[in-house]
Amino acid sequence: MKLLIVEDEPALRTSLVEYLRQDGYVVEAAANYAQAHEKIKLYQYDCVLLDLTLPDGNGLDLLRTLRADSSPAGVLIVSARGALDDKVLGLELGADDYLAKPFHLSELSARLKAIIRRRQFQGQRQLLFQELTVLPDQAQVLVHGEAVALTRKEYDLLLYLLTHPGRVLTKESIAEHVWGDAADAADSFDFLYTHLKNLRRKLQEKGAGDYIRSVYGVGYKFSAE
Amino acid sequence: MKLLTATNRYHVLLAALLFTIGSGLLYFGVLWALQGEAEERLFQQRDYLRREVQRTGRLPGTPFEGRMQLSTTPQPEGLRDVLLLEPLENELEPYRQLTFRLQLAGRPQWVSLSKSLLETEDVRLLIMWLLLGVLGALLGCMVLLNRWLARRLWAPFERTLQQLRTYDVRQHQVLQLPGTRIEEFAQLNLTLTRLSERVAADYASLKEFTENAAHETRTPLAIMQAKLEQLLQLPDLPAPAGPLVADLYAAVQRLARLHQGLTLLSKIENQQFAQAVPVSLAALLREKLDQLEGFIEDKQLRLEVSLPATGTLPLHPALADSLVSNLLHNAIRHNQPGGLLRVMLTGTELAITNTGPPLAPTQNPAQFFERFRKQNATSDSPGLGLSIVQGIAVFYGFEVRYEYAAEQALHTLRVVFKH
Repeated sequence: MKLLIVEDEPALRTSLVEYLRQDGYVVEAAANYAQAHEKIKLYQYDCVLLDLTLPDGNGLDLLRTLRADSSPAGVLIVSARGALDDKVLGLELGADDYLAKPFHLSELSARLKAIIRRRQFQGQRQLLFQELTVLPDQAQVLVHGEAVALTRKEYDLLLYLLTHPGRVLTKESIAEHVWGDAADAADSFDFLYTHLKNLRRKLQEKGAGDYIRSVYGVGYKFSAE
Repeated sequence: MKLLTATNRYHVLLAALLFTIGSGLLYFGVLWALQGEAEERLFQQRDYLRREVQRTGRLPGTPFEGRMQLSTTPQPEGLRDVLLLEPLENELEPYRQLTFRLQLAGRPQWVSLSKSLLETEDVRLLIMWLLLGVLGALLGCMVLLNRWLARRLWAPFERTLQQLRTYDVRQHQVLQLPGTRIEEFAQLNLTLTRLSERVAADYASLKEFTENAAHETRTPLAIMQAKLEQLLQLPDLPAPAGPLVADLYAAVQRLARLHQGLTLLSKIENQQFAQAVPVSLAALLREKLDQLEGFIEDKQLRLEVSLPATGTLPLHPALADSLVSNLLHNAIRHNQPGGLLRVMLTGTELAITNTGPPLAPTQNPAQFFERFRKQNATSDSPGLGLSIVQGIAVFYGFEVRYEYAAEQALHTLRVVFKH
């Protein structure tokens, strides 16, 4: 998997590059419009992470170039502008998703994976972890090949955890990914605990190992260790 | 009252006053002049009679028009007004009479010479009618002139007014006012055009500032968040450091949400949500309640919902979403386990009621709408929810009311769409 990160802010760019390299991607970075333009003209990428405000140009023009060249690359817009118009325009121009700054790195990586999954037509469209199999198309979870009945939220939770094996996921990022703004309705993150407990129980009933680990004071981690 | 009517009123009053005084002066002046003339004629006749009597010793024939009476009994001498019978028309008519003594054939005789004032009366009447006529014509003309001026001279002013009524700074427009020959209106238009240019420039720079502020703070926030998240991933992060970093992370999150809320508020106040589409609040509420189902169940809330199909309201989708979300989140977060959550929508209002902590007598519900006013100081929420609700309500001309029923500790937020 080859990614291009277009981001002018050096500190953010290095974080993105490092985090995504750890996820196993081949990552290249461009600091401005000119560099990015050269790279997308020369190489093929599976996904491009696009910042809209670049010192020497507009990220939307890069998106136009990609689509004009009928590039198969997925595009995830990461914008600090947060204006609704940008989002609408970006998606109209053929971006796959839009993420406003600031964001959780884990959320960004989950979205990237979703884009790549959607765009891979020939590839295997399933996620594997030990005895667990997730079929995102059917929203189905199998343990040892046997289906587990999960609620929508439990399924979303599992998918999010499974997309980040070995990563520490903060409670904030999990709540935001699964519940979105609705998480505001709760006065604490205690609800996360309840849902994870149910998920853990349902998986273990089917004979799966306990992979959901709590990280004290921080959040959770999905890991076989 | 129209400006022209007001000025016209003064014009008419002044004209009427001047006319009354002028008419009076003219009337009495003419009267005085005519009477003087009559008297002069009478004196001339007297002098003539005296001369003739002195020369011939007797009265001449009746050489004068008018009348002459002789009397041997003494009469008061001098001038006076009398009424005499006009034999032809058999009416009394006004006369000016001069009586004097004449020594005729050694005996004194009193002669009264009379001169008709009938012509004077005619002239008086003529003057009066003429003046009344001119006054009437003048007033009539003033009214007509007033109407014509209102239609014609004030037309550029009306056009300017019309443009101002439809002026909307959000459209980034500068006023395009038509030229006019009237200097005052031309100046007004020029001033307004400059003003609108300034307003448009200020608005643009304010909007730019808001966007810049939003943009420029988002990037460092994103860097902080990313670095902290990376820090949490370090395999050899000492165990006690985890919660510290997590607290930092939560604080950055809070800052980000605070920033988001404040940006939204300032955008609403800058009226940057001009576009509106028909939004069905019933559908939106149903969707949101669906998303919140888990939280409602977690708190075991009794849900009472009345969402009849009430048609649509023209709203910006993002604002409609924010309004409904904030109200529902507020009602769930401040609810108590096993409490009530009632959502009532009618064509005219949306009322959301929740059980909540009892309100202390010192608490002023108006303060709940203030920014950063939190019922629960330890809450993670930035305390902007109700401010945003109110901001949106003000933007759309809705009214937000807070009601509290003490016996059941029921808090109701009522958004009235039309009032």
